[in-house]
Amino acid sequence: MKKRNWFFQAAGCAAVAFVFLLPLFRLALMSVTQTAGYGFGNYAELFREPRTLRAIGNTVAVALASTALSAVLGVLLAFLVAYLNIKRKRLLELLALAPFILPSYVVTISWTSLLEQNGGANRLLQLLHLPAVSLYSLGGIIFVLGLCNVPLVYLTTVDTLRKIPRELEWAARASGCGRWETLWRIDLVQARPAIAGGCVLAFLACIDNFAVPAFLGIPASIPVLSTYIYEKAIGFGPDSFSLAAALSVLLSVVAVSGSAAMSAFARKTKRSESIRPDFSARIVLGRGARRAVEWTGLAVFAVLDLVPLVTMTAASFQDLYGRRFSAANLTLRNYEFVFTSDGVIRAVGNSLFLALITCAACIVAGTAAAYGKSHGGGAHIRLLESCASLTYAIPGIVLALAMIFHWSMIPGIYGSLRILVVAYITRYLIVQIKGSSAAMLSVHPALEEAARVSGSGKARMWQRILIPLLFRQTISSSLLIFVSSLTEMTLSSILAAAGTKTIGLTIFDFQQSGDYNLAYAFSVVIVVLILCGYGLVQCVGGAGRKKGGAAQRSPGEAGSYRSETLKKMEETAS
Amino acid sequence: MSLKISHLSKEYGKTAALSDVSLEIGDGEFLCILGPSGCGKTTLLRLVGGFEHPSGGSILLNGALYSSPDYSLPVERRNLGMVFQSFALWPNMTVRQHAEFPLLRRKYAPMDAAEKRRLVDRTLSGVGLLALSDRYPDELSGGQKQRVALARAIITKPKILLMDEPLSALDAELKISMRKEIQDIHRMTRATILYVTHDQSEALAMADRMMIMKDGKVEQAGTPQEIFLHPKTPFAATFVGKYNLIRGTWERDTFYEENSLACWKDRGIRPELKKLGIFPLRPDQLAIAKKGNGIPGKIINRQYCGREIHYSVESSGGLITVYAPLNQNYALDETVVLTEREETV
Repeated sequence: MKKRNWFFQAAGCAAVAFVFLLPLFRLALMSVTQTAGYGFGNYAELFREPRTLRAIGNTVAVALASTALSAVLGVLLAFLVAYLNIKRKRLLELLALAPFILPSYVVTISWTSLLEQNGGANRLLQLLHLPAVSLYSLGGIIFVLGLCNVPLVYLTTVDTLRKIPRELEWAARASGCGRWETLWRIDLVQARPAIAGGCVLAFLACIDNFAVPAFLGIPASIPVLSTYIYEKAIGFGPDSFSLAAALSVLLSVVAVSGSAAMSAFARKTKRSESIRPDFSARIVLGRGARRAVEWTGLAVFAVLDLVPLVTMTAASFQDLYGRRFSAANLTLRNYEFVFTSDGVIRAVGNSLFLALITCAACIVAGTAAAYGKSHGGGAHIRLLESCASLTYAIPGIVLALAMIFHWSMIPGIYGSLRILVVAYITRYLIVQIKGSSAAMLSVHPALEEAARVSGSGKARMWQRILIPLLFRQTISSSLLIFVSSLTEMTLSSILAAAGTKTIGLTIFDFQQSGDYNLAYAFSVVIVVLILCGYGLVQCVGGAGRKKGGAAQRSPGEAGSYRSETLKKMEETAS
Repeated sequence: MSLKISHLSKEYGKTAALSDVSLEIGDGEFLCILGPSGCGKTTLLRLVGGFEHPSGGSILLNGALYSSPDYSLPVERRNLGMVFQSFALWPNMTVRQHAEFPLLRRKYAPMDAAEKRRLVDRTLSGVGLLALSDRYPDELSGGQKQRVALARAIITKPKILLMDEPLSALDAELKISMRKEIQDIHRMTRATILYVTHDQSEALAMADRMMIMKDGKVEQAGTPQEIFLHPKTPFAATFVGKYNLIRGTWERDTFYEENSLACWKDRGIRPELKKLGIFPLRPDQLAIAKKGNGIPGKIINRQYCGREIHYSVESSGGLITVYAPLNQNYALDETVVLTEREETV
């Protein structure tokens, strides 16, 4: 028995290493593979190219600047929502979280529609004698990435702000500190670890992001590492894969060192938290000031997150790209194309298929791993968890390359949808493991025992007690996996072949080939679908909440399942 | 100088946390506000501190307006120190940094660094923490934490010290020793202290004057002796002195218990209680006898407490508590009579 168990664990470890570790190993190996033997020749060659240094410089600059932007906006928003007596907080929160719900390429496309070269916004700027703004620039990439990651900082900060005990502020006030100085010296210092944590997530998200620099940077020939790797990987040449592999190693180094530096900054502070978040307003503004802040906040986030969607929708009904919006130009042709084109229909089919398969596979494997973990574990499960965290934390483009190197060795995988299924599972499995583990933890062993003592059979116990309790938390992770793989673009941009394009890749191709209005129309369809899905989740979640008895959930927290997921991501990132 | 609170009230929505409280506190006075939880004592303290705004009435210091429904002087300009039940220490600062914090304000800019250092040293040694200057709050015990909070509150020599149940989070023995330290601080700083507590022995031990509150209203205010010996309301009698409220009728100076032939002479009982037909007797003012002229009852519980024995006696007027000397032994279910114990002068 013991021997068999040992054999079982060894086999498990080998399987995990084969699926999760070997691809990364092959990538590292490829980066030092030269025409003759091994060496650092690829790196030397890369550093001889000025474009490499530019790409590294751009990557660091973009990541730092957009993280700073997300930090400022996210912290400011968290402060408004947590401490001020403004009304309509839920609406504000919903507006601010919009870029978190939508894939980043949709956000990018919507902004390009707002800032078209001859579009309304730029004409308005001309009227004001201001220079026109082009989104196809380093500034544009920074801006859109920063905007996309505001929710990351916001969600990690807002709850911490609420949990800072009020007495800490009062003690400072009684010591002669003014209200704003208290915020600065007490609350901000207490919230610093959370803010830094949010910044690390935002930083990693920037490094990882491929869609935004691909949509905005490639047309303007601004390289960052992720798009540079993409160009190398799809380019031809005897050593292009080796060079891409070497670049991937460089990108991973940037990601790890950047987030390590930020985490070190956070770790020093000691802090105390009250267990219960305090939802009452700490700073009471007069009526006039309150209204001013409220409407300014709503207006700012409406402009940032809503107006681009509106202009994108308007543009999607236009005949010709780049014309002034007019009734004469109104057409449904773009939608007609989107709904009838074989390519689009196949892409939607592919993405749906991928999302469902990935979701199902992750539920089974992730929940099994979580169950194993809560019942004693074993080496193979611990290995699985850390390896799956690794494949989630490294940039998507790097993982995609590793997948090619590894799975092209095994016949029948590369070149079909199978490689995407494998890649998605490798990427997202950890989300389900964490979600299912959390769900298992929330079922106290005493509950199981109580059910047995009160005479329930095992089947009945699962049906009446465990499944209702596990369901909500498990399903929230699955939903995240579903939406992520449905709208995925980074992995598929490298791994998809002619017949296996995904939704994200199709929109990317429209945009790259200049069919902007088609890209707009397809994006609008995606937005509508996501919003419907999200509404459905909220309804189901609301019903499940009553049954699942998740009493610890704090009230009035929009997108609560998102923030739950965020916690998992944080754990994964560290 | 004096702190004058007049007709102060505070409502949260429709519930009144405080209604029509008036009070004048003299310079350097140690006032304890005593009451059960939810009686409005903490609300009163927060209003004086300026952390909350009154719905009605006013607070004045030496004639200068501190709080009214339309105006509230910001907390930081009220010249006060505050100590909290939860200590409210900043986890990222050392003991010394806590004491220094109030001196960082612009008001203290003219003070030179050496002088500040001396003041901090003096204050920290005053609360016995000089040796622990570089510790962080999570490296201190409960009593040490509260002494840090005290040092922080008194370093600027504020006119008013607000204390919100400062000893409630400490264990029993530490509570007693910290009482002495708070009294020392009061003598040393001569600040006016507003001290909120639900522990009557704490209030009796330390206060110059105490105020009993219940349901947002003042029940009685006076010196500890006045309130302990001559309570004005049934609540003040039971909450502070643990009095048994014996019911009966008053005829001038004589009280006739309603269920027996016992009758007692007035011993300085307030007219407010007389009007209610109550004769208050503390457990130590009663004696137990096998028979005689007194309230008949049955012993239903006894607790041996070392110095005395606590008996619960069931009588037709209700449960009566008696503290009897150790030599008086009665068994459970024994029938006894309760008489007034001779006053020992």
